[in-house]
Order: sequence, then C-alpha cells, then structure tokens
Amino acid sequence: MTLSSVDREPADADPTIAVSVRNVGMRYGDFDAVKDASFDLPKGKFLTILGPSGSGKTTLLRLIAGFGEPTTGEIFINGEPVNAVPAHRRAIGMVFQRLALFPHMTAAQNIAFPLKMRRRDARTIADQVERYLDLVKLGGYGGRRIDALSGGQQQRVAIARALVFEPDLLLLDEPLAALDVKLREEMQLEFRRIQKELGVTTINVTHDQREALVVSDEVIVMNDGVIQQKAQPILAYRKPENAFVANFIGVTNFVHGIVTGVDGGVVAFRSGGKDLRGIAGGSAPQLAEGAQCSAAIRAEQIRIVTGGETPDRFEIVVEGVIADTIFEGERIVYEITVPQLAEASLRVFDHDPAAHTQFQPGARIQLGWNSKDMHVF
Amino acid sequence: MKPPRSAYPWHWRVLDVLERVVETAWPRRFTKGLPHAMLVPVVLLVAILIAGLVEMLDSSFRVLDTNTFLMSDFYTLDNYRRALTENFFQSVATRSFIASFIVTAITLVVAVPYAYLMVRTQSPALRKFLLVALFFPFFIGEVVRAYGWLIILGNQGLVNEFLGLFGLSSVRLLYNYSAVIFGLVQYMLPFAVLMIAPALTAIPEELEAAANSLGANWIRTFRHVVLPLARPGLVAGGLVVMTLSLTNFAIPAMLGGGSQDFMSNVIYDQFFRTSDQGLGSALSILLVIAGSILVGIIFRLFGTGSLAIKGARK
Repeated sequence: MTLSSVDREPADADPTIAVSVRNVGMRYGDFDAVKDASFDLPKGKFLTILGPSGSGKTTLLRLIAGFGEPTTGEIFINGEPVNAVPAHRRAIGMVFQRLALFPHMTAAQNIAFPLKMRRRDARTIADQVERYLDLVKLGGYGGRRIDALSGGQQQRVAIARALVFEPDLLLLDEPLAALDVKLREEMQLEFRRIQKELGVTTINVTHDQREALVVSDEVIVMNDGVIQQKAQPILAYRKPENAFVANFIGVTNFVHGIVTGVDGGVVAFRSGGKDLRGIAGGSAPQLAEGAQCSAAIRAEQIRIVTGGETPDRFEIVVEGVIADTIFEGERIVYEITVPQLAEASLRVFDHDPAAHTQFQPGARIQLGWNSKDMHVF
Repeated sequence: MKPPRSAYPWHWRVLDVLERVVETAWPRRFTKGLPHAMLVPVVLLVAILIAGLVEMLDSSFRVLDTNTFLMSDFYTLDNYRRALTENFFQSVATRSFIASFIVTAITLVVAVPYAYLMVRTQSPALRKFLLVALFFPFFIGEVVRAYGWLIILGNQGLVNEFLGLFGLSSVRLLYNYSAVIFGLVQYMLPFAVLMIAPALTAIPEELEAAANSLGANWIRTFRHVVLPLARPGLVAGGLVVMTLSLTNFAIPAMLGGGSQDFMSNVIYDQFFRTSDQGLGSALSILLVIAGSILVGIIFRLFGTGSLAIKGARK
C-alpha cells in the first residue's frame, strides 16, 4: 500500500514539469501495447515520440489525451494525477492523424468549437478565433468550408483549433503523415514556429526520424511498447542507447562479431577474421569477452578511399565490392559487400560529388573509418 | 516462330474461343446500347404506374350512379367536393397526418440510439444481436405482426392476464389511437434504423474523439457533431417512416379495430365496400398530392438527405 502511495506522487512536485508519466502500462487482452513507460517533460518543450508502427507510441499519446485509462501507472499533468479525469475535462489540444475537422462547420466554426464548449462569450470567441486564424496565417479564410481548403490549410485549421483555448499541452498524432514531402517539411517548421511563439508544451508522435530530429527538443524512441531511449535529438543520433535506436535513426550499418577484449569504453572484437575496435554503446554496456556483438556505424562515417583521401587517415581500412549503386540526386548510395568482414553489406554515401565518378557494380574499392564512430552493442 | 506450348496454355485457348463466340453472338457495337436497354424494365414499371394513375384521375372526376351502379359519363368535381368538405373524411385525414408525425418523431428518437449503438459497439456479439433483432421482424409480415399484438394486448391477452395475477382489472389496450401509434412505431423502427445506420457509419470515430478532446462531453458531442452529420440519414429515415405511416393500411385496420381508420382504410372501403370507384379514386389522388406536398416541404426545410442523387446537394 505504501508503495502505491509513493507511485501516485510525481517524482518531485517540480513546478517546471508539464507532463509526468510514471510506470504507465497499457494492456489489451494479453497484448502489452505500452510497458512500464516513465518520463518527465518540462514545460515549454517539444517532445517527439518516435517509433515504428505498432511500437505503442500512439497508445501512449492517447493515454495522455485521456482516451482510455492506463492499466498500470499514473499520468500527471502539471503535477495533478489525471488517470480519472475524462478527456473533455483535460485542457489538452490534440491534432489528429486525419485531422478530424468537423466537415459541417466552417474553418472559423471549427476553431470556435472548443471555446463554445467552454461557454466563452461571443465577443471573446470572435476575437480569439480571429487571433488564431492570423497566427496560422489563415486570416480571411474563416468563412471557408473545410472541404474548400487545401491540405496544408486544413492542417493549419486543425492546429488553430487545438490551440485556441490555450491548453496546457498540445498533442500531435502524426498529423503530417499523409502530406507530400515538400508540404510535410514546410509544416514541420510551421509547427516549430508556432510552438516557439506560444511556448506550449508539445508531444508529437511520428515514425519519421527526420521530423523527430528537425522539430524536437527531446526525442523518445519506442519499440515493442518499451521506451528505448529519451534524449536530445543530437544525442539520440550520436549516442544511440541500443542497436534498435542506432538502426531506427539514420542510415546505419551493422557488423557482427565476437568480443575479444574490453578496455574501459573501448571494445575490441573480431568479425570474419578481421580485428576491429569500437566504443561501447549505450549507458550500461554488457559486453564480455567471447560474447556476440553488433557494431553500428553510420553510412556517412564510412569513406570511400579514393585519390583525395589517403588510407592512413583511417584507423580501419577494408576492401569491398560494389553490389549496387543507387542514385539519389544529391548523393549516391553504394551497397558494398565486404568479404573481409564475413560478407557484411555496408551502405556508404558518396562524399565526392565533384569528381563525377560513379562506381559500377562489381568495382573493387577501399573503405575507411575510425573506431570512435563505431558503437558496439 | 511458334511460341512454346507453355506460353499458350489450354485454358487461354478455351477463353479465346468463348470470346470469339460472344463476339459473333453479341457484337461490340451492341454493347454501347446495353445500359439503356437495361432501363427498359424500370421504364415499363413506371409507365404502368402512371397509366394506373391516369385511369384513376379519370374515374375520380366521375360520380357513381346509385341506381345503375355505373360511373357517370360526364366529368364533375363532386367527388373532390365531398372528400374535402365532409367531416368524416377530414377527421380521417387529420388522424392519418397527426399519426404519421407522431410515429416519425417517436421512431427517430428510438432509432438513433439503436443505430448508434449498433454502429459503434466494440462487441461483435452485441452488434450481431442488434442486427438480427432488427431484421427478424422483416421475416414476419405486417399482418402477422399486428395479429401478434392482438394476442399480447387483447382483453384476454398476455398483458391483461399478467395484470390479473395481481388482482388488477383488465385494461383496454387495443382499438385506440395509441395502439395504432405503438404498432406503427414498432413496424417502422427497422426502416429508420437501416436508413440512419449508414449515415452514422460515415462519421469517423475520430471526430467524436476530437470533440471530446476539445471539451465536449458525450451529450454535446452528440448534439454538435453526431446529429448534424447524421442529418442526411435522419431526413431520409424520417421521410420513409412518415410516408409509410401516412399510407399504412394493415395496422390501423387491425389494431384500430375500425375505429381508427387511416386514409388507406377509407379508400379501401370506397373501392371494395361501397364500390364507389369515383370517390375512392378522388381520395387516392388527394392522398398522393398531400403526400407529395409533405415530402416537398421536408425537402425544402431539411434538404433531400441521403435520398439525394449525387450532385443535387448544395
């Protein structure tokens, strides 16, 4: 009993914390959608929950929104436990995946809806709607029907509607997923601008790692209902906590091997007869001599050793055969098979676009990298 | 070069032959007219209906000669004068119209929650039960169902016997206005639910979640989001219920016991009891006109609902 009373207090009743999730689990039948999730989100921050579909990220967001009660654990908003508070009494603005704008109302009526539900007087509603239409750069569009607005404009109406009642928290449930790339990138920056301008605490859910890195102050990576890592975007990218995070964010190559020695943070391992070294990944590495390991290295940290680059710039140089050449416009991606590393397949970006050389499949080349860029898990 | 046998398997050959046969029997240029040709049965049906109406219109202007029992060979407005001025016909018309309004209102009020539960329930078992319960009455004809109510509500019926167990004297439940209304509501409910359910299905659940997150409890969500969006279904369902009630025959005849006649019952009497084909026709024509005006007013007030043909809205 004492344990549960401890659980029901936020870690510390810190007034700077907007959302506190404590050991939250959600079970459907015998399937755990979310397992023992805990994190604190300071006020005014932009958090992105990143994960593949089915990772539990949307379930977690919906629990915070108040659609359903967690099976275990407690959620605190501004220090108050909210498990028993229904969605319509939580001051949370939410932008839905398919926007969920009311098709029978105009843009202005949509934005006025939360104010009407809060029984504000007509004057306040009109002023506030006008202000938020301007904020999302839709001044003059208030009278339009929803279906007379473009996809981007509908996004803006949805944001205005979620913010107009000045909620404690803004939740974004992958609202950008359906947009084309150009518009999506524009809207990402737009979300960022509005969030900064209003300083509203925001939780965004996405499977788009680029979006997570671009817009967020903090990133949570989820998989199989479990939080894998919570970090600033740059740290999630540079210091992945585990192989899943390393693989999910960025273009990552894995070399598998067996640990031959551990010395402080440096791990020596052997892969396909070649001795390699890397730094121990994660906050609590569990690598012992003789254990299986996977070493992750980003595609951009492997260089093709050609005229400009000398092999002695790199601690590790291997020979590979081009298996495939993929032209992506601003860069060329090579799939390279390395016989020396147990036929590992590595993806490498071309960093010498000025040379206009494009290796063809079958070509033999040398690859080089440095041990500090390799994270061993 | 001849392609290898495997590239041209036997079932391709069979289909090729079939295609050639079809091509000779029904050349491609015929196909262009096919959609029009398929309209023929419908056009025929409508034509017969119109022919019948014209025939009725004709006899509605002739009066019955009570000496010869033949229709007059001159035209007169006498039938219409009688139908519109005689108290009996007026009270029947008022009864039918008021009943159809009451039945529509009650049916919609009952049908909306039923349809909502059927569409939104998470339990497949409950949805199946609600669907079966809805369709089951369809398998039983209107007359049989009305007879069922006689058994249940009659003076020696189940309800009164049950009351008798507690020493209560039997109550007259049948042969009055409320019995007819009750029977009609029960008969119309499936129609209304079936018209409303698709309209509710078309409302994304996310909209209700959105209204919820924006501060609306379920009552206000229902009022501001669900009902306005279900309006096409409500209008269509309401129209069907109203027109079917207005023109209903069996339920007022059986549960009203002759004291609660609707317009259809009176028309029936003119045709088959007094054999006054003229007056019967006049009443029928008036019923068609009144019904059409009613439908027209509703279209004007509430839009055409889901009965609208695409593009007709706005």
